[in-house]
Amino acid sequence: MGTSMFRHAALAATGVAAIFAATAARGQDPVKIGFITELTGPWSFTGASCVAGLKLAEAQLNPPGKRRIEFVLMDNQTQPAQAVAAARNLDIQSKVLALSGPTSSDTALAIYGYAEQNKLPFLVPVAAFPQLTKPGTRFTFRIEPDAAGWGYAIAKFVEKQKPGAKVALLYSDYALMRAIAAGLKWQAAKSNIKIEPEIVFPQGTSDATVQAAQVRAANPDYVVWVGAGGFDVSVTNQLLDIGIKPEQIIHPYGFTTMIRGWGKRSVGSYYGTFFDANLENLTDEGKKFVEDFTKQNDRMPSYAENYCYLTSQIFREVLDRNPEAADNREKFRDALSALNWKEPTSGVPITFDKNGARKEYMYFMQITDVGAKEYKAKQSFYIEWDPEVLPVYDLVK
Amino acid sequence: MSDAAIIIVMSTITTGIMLGVIFSLVAVGVTIVYGSIWMPNAANGQFFLLASLLAWSASVSWGLHPAVAALLVIGASVPFSYLLEILLVRRFYDVPNRNVSYFVLTLGITQILAGIFSVTYGVWSDQFQLPPIVPGVTLFGPFPIANNRLASMGIATILLAALFALLRFHRYGRALRAVFQNREAAALRGVDVRAIYRMSFILGNGVIFAGGVLFACAYSVDLTVAWTMAVTAFAIMIIGGPGSVLGALVIGMVFGFTQAIVSIFASPTIAAFSYLGAMLVILLFRPSGLFAR
Repeated sequence: MGTSMFRHAALAATGVAAIFAATAARGQDPVKIGFITELTGPWSFTGASCVAGLKLAEAQLNPPGKRRIEFVLMDNQTQPAQAVAAARNLDIQSKVLALSGPTSSDTALAIYGYAEQNKLPFLVPVAAFPQLTKPGTRFTFRIEPDAAGWGYAIAKFVEKQKPGAKVALLYSDYALMRAIAAGLKWQAAKSNIKIEPEIVFPQGTSDATVQAAQVRAANPDYVVWVGAGGFDVSVTNQLLDIGIKPEQIIHPYGFTTMIRGWGKRSVGSYYGTFFDANLENLTDEGKKFVEDFTKQNDRMPSYAENYCYLTSQIFREVLDRNPEAADNREKFRDALSALNWKEPTSGVPITFDKNGARKEYMYFMQITDVGAKEYKAKQSFYIEWDPEVLPVYDLVK
Repeated sequence: MSDAAIIIVMSTITTGIMLGVIFSLVAVGVTIVYGSIWMPNAANGQFFLLASLLAWSASVSWGLHPAVAALLVIGASVPFSYLLEILLVRRFYDVPNRNVSYFVLTLGITQILAGIFSVTYGVWSDQFQLPPIVPGVTLFGPFPIANNRLASMGIATILLAALFALLRFHRYGRALRAVFQNREAAALRGVDVRAIYRMSFILGNGVIFAGGVLFACAYSVDLTVAWTMAVTAFAIMIIGGPGSVLGALVIGMVFGFTQAIVSIFASPTIAAFSYLGAMLVILLFRPSGLFAR
């Protein structure tokens, strides 16, 4: 009888505490996060994909009893000036706790300047330009590994595939692509990989038949092609047309749309990624994320969507562990800096170094089939490295 | 000659022809409109992109054969241009300095179309590729070339030849050239100048649409292609001589081959600005263009 009474009293006390906590949580203002991304302009595809990933996570972001997190979405039109204007607006008018959202290095760099100057925590989901986490950075944290590191990882992959290999390097003249090429060339010299030829395409190029012929004439073991958009697919096709085998082609990254564009004839070629629907080590949440995303968007998610899905969960995790950080930017920054967690979708660790860069990692996948909506790929290589293993900030200014 | 050398020479020739015919088509389209109604059509790049994207939708989303999709889109350019002519273009026919008004008008159209593409196609994908009209690869000695590209090249060449014949030998072509040279004199000789204006606008846009569709058959497309093509078409028209169809044809081919040759002997980066540099040099000596009358 005594035990029963005690149990009832304890249950009642727990219930009251829960109701109190829920009421208290309801009574508090929601935590606002400014999400500035590319909804229009040339980068609208990645911006829209990012928002699609974020929305999936948002559905389960605010369970009862927890302080509500709200994302205030703004379009930066893929323009740095517009991104800064949005950051200022969110800082002053909406009084957000932190910023996030850009998927372009250009807009991210613009927000970076504002965030660092105004001590506003800034979590970058998808932007790989190294200077976002240059030494001295305090308020900016980056989820995606830096681009020079991708080049480093490609060299390591080639070294493992064929020691002393000869690699043809082709890239479009964008900051991201230059950074990848810089990392690759730096490590290639150390890994005894010969780069020949090296061909840079200016922005706006549409044809690479002549360059594909040059590559074929050089007879390399591998071709690393660093491109994006329509030209990425055109060059891939032109390389294949001229007789380069799919197994010789390495793409540093592969969005679902890119892989579908490369098509069935690219079966056998490789691409780098940080998350892939075909990975065997996905967690249950990762598998569900892939399933739900595919159902909603008629295509599989790639790493960009995963990082944006992850972004909202990082905010939840940090605020759950540090409720006092919800109203204090400096405390939130410290809590984010101390984060030691794992990606719920893949189990890959997330920690940030003193400059806000993440311990870096990369998967290399080999395409095994490409369908109208889905593709199959198998993991060929996995690598982790410390971001300071290569002189990133000297390589890319 | 080694196989490697043959491959490089052949690839230079085919790239020169491929880019040349596409550049020529778009520049001819722009110059026909400018020559007749004095409209510097700044929206030519967006029209080009519109054609590529519509062809993609028709073939990939609706499942039409790419050849049918291509014909449908080129056909659709007629009512599209006719509507634009009725609603906007003809209102400026009698406006003094109308070329400035037209330039501002077409800049507005450019912005509107760019915005529409950005929130529709830009959200759906980052690249758009048509299924091949003719699948497979043909070998010229050791040099392989995609049949689809050969087909695009062939169709574009036939279109250019047909266009040239139309302007040279057909009654409408002669009337159009008369309007190009002297509107008042053409009117006195019984040419319906306004009808020629309308026909020119429809024909010019039709040719640009054809260029966009053939480009999408040969290459994968993204939204940035509009800007590149707009700048290239204007550069060709200015060097060739505004209003000179022959100039647009010849300079378009020269641009294509310049890009192909410079990119192999120097680099693609130098090739990209070499023709714009050439434009400045030519304009120093021939400010009205090489083929201006």
